[in-house]
Amino acid sequence: CAGEENWVDSRTIYVGHREPPPGAEAYIPQRFPDNRIVSSKYTFWNFIPKNLFEQFRRIANFYFLIIFLVQLIIDTPTSPVTSGLPLLFVITVTAIKQGYEDWLRHKADNAINQCPVHFIQHGKLVRKQSRKLRVGDIVMVKEDEKFPCDLIFLSSSRGDGTCFVTTASLDGESSHKTYYAVQDTKAFHNEQEIDALHATIECEQPQPDLYKFVGRINVYHDRNEPIARPLGSENLLLRGATLKNTEKIFGVAIYTGMETKMALNYQSKSQKRSAVEKSMNVFLVVYLCILVSKALINTVLKYAWQSEPFRDEPWYNQKTEPERKRNLFLQAFTDFLAFMVLFNYIIPVSMYVTVEMQKFLEMFDEGTGEGPLVNTSDLNEELGQIEYVFTDKTGTLTENNMEFVECCIEGHVYVPHVICNGQILHDCTGIDMIDSSPGGSGKEREELFFRALCLCHTVQVKDDDSIDGLKKNQVPRRSCIYISSSPDEVALVEGIQRLGYTYLRLKDNFMEILNRENNIEKFELLEVFSFDSVRRRMSVIVKSSTGDIFLFCKGADSSIFPRVKEGKIDQVRSRVERNAVEGLRTLCVAYKKLTAEEYSNVQKLLQSAKLALQDREKKLAEVYEKIERDFILLGATAVEDRLQEKAADTIEALQKAGIKVWVLTGDKMETAAATCYACKLFRRNTQILELTTKKIEEQSLHDVLFDLNKTVIRQNGSLTRDTFSGLSTDTQDYGLIIDGAALSLIMKPRHDGSSGNYREIFLNICRNCSAVLCCRM
Amino acid sequence: MKNRTSFLPREGEAQPSRCPDNSAFKQQRLPAWKPQLTIASVLSSFFLTGAFCLTVGVCLVLSANSVREIQIDYSDKCSDCSKLRENSSNWNKECHCSVNFTLKEDILGDVFMYYGLQNFYQNHRRYVMSRSDAQLLGRNVNIQRSYCAPFSTYRNGTPMAPCGAIANSIFNDTIDLFYNHNSSVIQVPLLKTGNSWWTDKNVKFRNPESYNLSSAFAGTARPPYWQKPVYLLDEEDERNNGYVNDDFIIWMRVSAFATFRNLYRRVRRTRHFADGLPAGNYTFHIAYNFPVTRFKGRKHVILSTVVWSGGSNPFLGIAYLVSGTAATLTGFVITGIHLKLRKKKTYFQKQ
Repeated sequence: CAGEENWVDSRTIYVGHREPPPGAEAYIPQRFPDNRIVSSKYTFWNFIPKNLFEQFRRIANFYFLIIFLVQLIIDTPTSPVTSGLPLLFVITVTAIKQGYEDWLRHKADNAINQCPVHFIQHGKLVRKQSRKLRVGDIVMVKEDEKFPCDLIFLSSSRGDGTCFVTTASLDGESSHKTYYAVQDTKAFHNEQEIDALHATIECEQPQPDLYKFVGRINVYHDRNEPIARPLGSENLLLRGATLKNTEKIFGVAIYTGMETKMALNYQSKSQKRSAVEKSMNVFLVVYLCILVSKALINTVLKYAWQSEPFRDEPWYNQKTEPERKRNLFLQAFTDFLAFMVLFNYIIPVSMYVTVEMQKFLEMFDEGTGEGPLVNTSDLNEELGQIEYVFTDKTGTLTENNMEFVECCIEGHVYVPHVICNGQILHDCTGIDMIDSSPGGSGKEREELFFRALCLCHTVQVKDDDSIDGLKKNQVPRRSCIYISSSPDEVALVEGIQRLGYTYLRLKDNFMEILNRENNIEKFELLEVFSFDSVRRRMSVIVKSSTGDIFLFCKGADSSIFPRVKEGKIDQVRSRVERNAVEGLRTLCVAYKKLTAEEYSNVQKLLQSAKLALQDREKKLAEVYEKIERDFILLGATAVEDRLQEKAADTIEALQKAGIKVWVLTGDKMETAAATCYACKLFRRNTQILELTTKKIEEQSLHDVLFDLNKTVIRQNGSLTRDTFSGLSTDTQDYGLIIDGAALSLIMKPRHDGSSGNYREIFLNICRNCSAVLCCRM
Repeated sequence: MKNRTSFLPREGEAQPSRCPDNSAFKQQRLPAWKPQLTIASVLSSFFLTGAFCLTVGVCLVLSANSVREIQIDYSDKCSDCSKLRENSSNWNKECHCSVNFTLKEDILGDVFMYYGLQNFYQNHRRYVMSRSDAQLLGRNVNIQRSYCAPFSTYRNGTPMAPCGAIANSIFNDTIDLFYNHNSSVIQVPLLKTGNSWWTDKNVKFRNPESYNLSSAFAGTARPPYWQKPVYLLDEEDERNNGYVNDDFIIWMRVSAFATFRNLYRRVRRTRHFADGLPAGNYTFHIAYNFPVTRFKGRKHVILSTVVWSGGSNPFLGIAYLVSGTAATLTGFVITGIHLKLRKKKTYFQKQ
């Protein structure tokens, strides 16, 4: 495993460049690169040789160079200018273009490397250029600033030691994420306190995975044994991310410059090649072979023809003395080269000139008044070659702006008064009950359900005073604003607020909620098992004021239902499925009561897993698996995610252009299919092929695949006939739906060793479909 | 989500628009012909092209066939002379031979006399380059730098004028034509000037400037295979002497193929020959100098007329006929495919 190797190769960082107390361990200052980011390819000095080298790595350029040199050396039938001039043109144009692009990169680098950074030196705040930052420096970052390097989060201006970060420029997720300061240092709030910190950090050498980080911090207090704390990715603030909703934070630099995770994720800076160029290179090689064989044949024929002396040297056409004495093989070789030069027009240099010229044409977007920003113009022509577009559903096809629609508690459906003249009325606290009022035990469950939704989340509350005026006007009655990495959670908490339960805040590990009777209930937050895409659920363990310990869990239906031992599963399931067909995102909520012994058991398991340095995630997952079971089902929620403006038009235009769109989503199949119909990815006449777990259970995988393949191929055959006669009618198009389980079944190598078989059939099916939807990945 | 405000222009900052001009070129709206290939347009274009090519081809072939031409191979008939010429040491021995032929009908109009060579590779790369155009323009050049070698200078350094293999191997047979009219022999008057291209005669070839021709070529020597120096090529006519000699100019225009003919003389239309060559017996008197047996070549003498489409070259007509036939055939094939598939389509539609 690569992670382990990386851990073995670790680095030690001395926070604030302070030596550890004597006796702890040897102080070995390590050398790390400075915080300079270099994204440019060339410097002023190496531009000409390096660029020429890069350019002559293109087969075509190299070929024309060779032809040019041959023409210079041998006694040629055509002038060297004929191939030299176009080559010079192509090389110059490309060099100017690449030079200009690199100059822009230099400018951008300089801007980044010279931007000021606040850091702490001898208890005082000092401003320095970003590039002078070094590993071990303690840095202060203010709100809306970008982190200058990868930092371990020491403390923040927020009391609870958290901060919010948006990583839009790293992974495109614009939502706010929460990061946590190191427990032992989060109390340090000013420069002097931070400067007094005496600690070392051990962590792995830099690796490009943005979401993985393993480390350990040793904090020294006077002469006591150092306190060791584990560090994970939740403590690591990445370069490129922006600090939000937090006044300022302190952090210690651990990875700088080209070793930051952002820099490690830069794509290689070597010249990129487009598909056009690649195929041109293939053609070039083919033509080169033709050319060489042509020249060879001609040379052989030449010598066969002139083997008779009256042809080789007739009286009217005598050789000179040096010509007669020349080595036969040398002569034959020069003849061969001469034939090469003579036939070299088989590869037209003009084509390259044209291809080079068309890259200057530009696009323009009227809406924003900006042209496109071209980073590598070698790839422009690729844009016209796109065949497949892979898209995410949430946030790409849809707005990622969730709206709570309804909840279902044990089969009873609750719909908050939502829309009134297109405006959301927040003062509506009543419940629309579609079914008859539940009985006594139902009432209890209902309240538990609402509390579960109020407690089981990672939503943060932004205080009233930090909201700007604009938002205040829009939300006059609400006293707080919710921030979360998942918009679903915000929608749920807001929806529950409308149903009468308001989540107030998290204070000193106590979650406060305002119930329907306007009383504040306090729950002590014991543990949070955060959401991940493998488990597809999250849990919290809370202790109520009465001392009961609850575990609340919410997650995708597929991950909740197998873990439920009681509750009205069938009613909830049918409701969930109905909602999914309508394109709503559904979540199920369940709970379980823990006794004090059970809880202490859980605590022990968690602690041991959390402190592990190796395979920490795997061990944690095992523990979660052990704890999250035997639930009692409470109900389900439905959240609507509206389509983006013009999503349907865009999809339609893409399909008209013959581009196939594949959607990948984690939603339920029914939800995803409904969205696909709404955005016209699937149309009324699209024949849907299903390759899902359900279908595979009915038939064997083998039969399903072969059936689908047959359908697709039959269509294909008639299609070619139609297009040939030039009278093709509107052909049937196919949409394929697959789910994660089926996909892994197909991709799993079979025991008899014929694994490639299914994959090929599957690929064939996919390629013949105009749209593919992969859900529950 | 996207921050929409950032797209709005900032206040107090007049940004120049980066919008490209709304010109036809920049917006890719230049007029373009985008043909719709319908069956009617494709078939009609094929059949029209075919018909046009066939018509032109037939006209060309007919006109080429109407050319009267007599070609006489004299390399066998003068076998004594050709044997003599095989040995180069006999270069200064004269050898004459005569070839008889009979015209059964009159050849009317302008009659041209050509000499033809077979298996003579004027297109050899070394041969083609072996000339100095600057020297032929009368300039005083160092021909060592030209590609004339090995026919550039003699051992003692005297440059050859003209230099190069082309000039050296000039066709030097002399052919005279005699008409046997009622037991009297009349020499057919032949024109030896006005046979070359105007540009060759006046632009590409010029004698060196001097008070007379022999002094202009002083310090140079004739090419090794020549019998007389260049300034004695035509002693009677000053304007047909030296580099601007018509026979020389015509020879210097090299042929692309190993079998070729060059214009030698034109029949002067006076007295008996005012209408062309009358029917009767003729004799060619040939001073045989040019050796061809050593490279397995042949020599011809040709009498021919011309028509509007040129000489008796059927190539262009045949080329037109072939392409016309190909276009027509393709048209028929496409029609066949179309008819067959159209039927199939209706069959499918019925299903």
